[in-house]
Amino acid sequence: MRPVRLDAILADDIRAAKAEMPRAFGRPWPARAAFGLGLAAAVVGLVALHVVYGLTPERLLSPDPRAWLLFVHFFDWSGFLTWEHRDILRSLGDTVAMAFIGTTLASLIALPLAFLAARNVLPAFVVRFMTRRTFDVARGVDQVIWALMFISVVGLGPLAGILAIIVSDSGTLGKLFSEAIENTERGPVEGVRSVGASPVAVQRYGLLPEVLPVFVSQALYFFESNTRSATVLGLVGAGGIGFELIARWQVMRFDEVAYVIVLILITVSLIDTISGAIRRRLIGGRQEADAAAQAA
Amino acid sequence: MLVLEGVSRRFGDKSAVSDVDLRIEPGSFVGVVGPSGAGKSTLLRMINRLVEPTAGNIRFEDRDTTRLSGSALRDWRAQCAMIFQQFNLVSRLDVLTNVIAGRLNHMPLWRSLTKSFTDAERTMALRALHRLGIAEVALKRADALSGGQQQRVAIARALMQEPRIILADEPIASLDPHNAKVVMDALRDINRRDGILVMCNLHTLDTARTYCDRIIGMANGRVVFDGAPAEFVGGVIEQIYGADGARIDERMTSTSLGVGGAGQPAPMPA
Repeated sequence: MRPVRLDAILADDIRAAKAEMPRAFGRPWPARAAFGLGLAAAVVGLVALHVVYGLTPERLLSPDPRAWLLFVHFFDWSGFLTWEHRDILRSLGDTVAMAFIGTTLASLIALPLAFLAARNVLPAFVVRFMTRRTFDVARGVDQVIWALMFISVVGLGPLAGILAIIVSDSGTLGKLFSEAIENTERGPVEGVRSVGASPVAVQRYGLLPEVLPVFVSQALYFFESNTRSATVLGLVGAGGIGFELIARWQVMRFDEVAYVIVLILITVSLIDTISGAIRRRLIGGRQEADAAAQAA
Repeated sequence: MLVLEGVSRRFGDKSAVSDVDLRIEPGSFVGVVGPSGAGKSTLLRMINRLVEPTAGNIRFEDRDTTRLSGSALRDWRAQCAMIFQQFNLVSRLDVLTNVIAGRLNHMPLWRSLTKSFTDAERTMALRALHRLGIAEVALKRADALSGGQQQRVAIARALMQEPRIILADEPIASLDPHNAKVVMDALRDINRRDGILVMCNLHTLDTARTYCDRIIGMANGRVVFDGAPAEFVGGVIEQIYGADGARIDERMTSTSLGVGGAGQPAPMPA
């Protein structure tokens, strides 16, 4: 028995091992050369694209003088007391409310549909196919496009924004939820089925407890993300802080624009903190189990 | 010599290991037994420092391993290899890469990040796999292997570390009797031929008697038995596993092939 020590490996040993299992010593040189050439071609292509689209150091280091002016305006907050704080804050509240209502309803719609779209829940191909394609349509059209459509149906204002969030996010959440369901272990489902539970009860007890923390975590992230994107919905007229932002930008009130942006950042990080706390509490049970396993 | 002095570990207000003193001879094969939750895993993990002791110190050849940090700690980890119940291989990597991962402490960072392994390292990995009788799976993905093969890959990874100690945390608890024997035989072979100290948590008492030359019994985080396999009978088992322990008929719980015969008396029901 030869010892497993690096200093006991001699040139003869390497030769013998190479003869026995050549593929353990990496790809042969033509494959490596092809890989290297491919990599080089990609680098050349990347650099060429930079030049085509003007992303050159020369261009980036000599900005338009107006950029500097804009930058200075951003940070001059001397008129702070004269700004329309009440309007701005109310619109910010509208935005958070739009995101909250939209995400909640989208999650509630996506939840049952996700089970219909999951392979391990519903082997019937037709229903799964139809559900998936519905999800595709809902999220394949961008939220802003949905907002424009709903504005022409229900008019300008937050309702159009909420409807846009519901439609596009029930598609996205449905896809994510159904994938989470497909990633679960089969064991618990089998266990509940073995006691003679009905198919719906099997999903309720064998699957839902496994996936619920994932669902909640994704829904919370979407709430945060929608608070940001509801800003964009406002830009096209679907209510909220985005409208205040674009109105001030058009009249070059850049100091207030910066103020609005700072408020959005604060709101989003507040939501992030709160949803983090909720998530920790929800998956807390698992952490306790891990600690117990560590102690064992 | 591996010396543990007053080693304790608390998780919150729960004490997992309390005040353990042990002196372990180099080259020995030590079995640690005890009920689930007795602190066996925590004890083993504290030696490798995957778990930090809250009190006490662990010395190996007069060096206090509990004080180590940074690269000195990583060097110590390389010296005491760890084998896990669930194998803990990287399932998406091939077997050869998993085995060479045992050398990560020995190679410069740029080589590990670019997977630039030397021919000598590859040959060494193949030799380790040969020794465990599974060289033919070198290019398969780790998750394509059976449990017994995966555990042998894990042992090959441990051998690549050129360790002084192998810590095995219930290495056969997920394996069928045949594979359990193959894995335990491999550990014994490494212990005998290479003189590597093996410390092994076990659930099956007959396995502990068959393979170990010293058995440590734990209950509630404390060492309650420490002696030769021949002394590990009757009343001692009751002490470790509680009053019901004496009623355990090992023929029912054993996973080894051929228990009940072979001159190993199962403890009589009380």
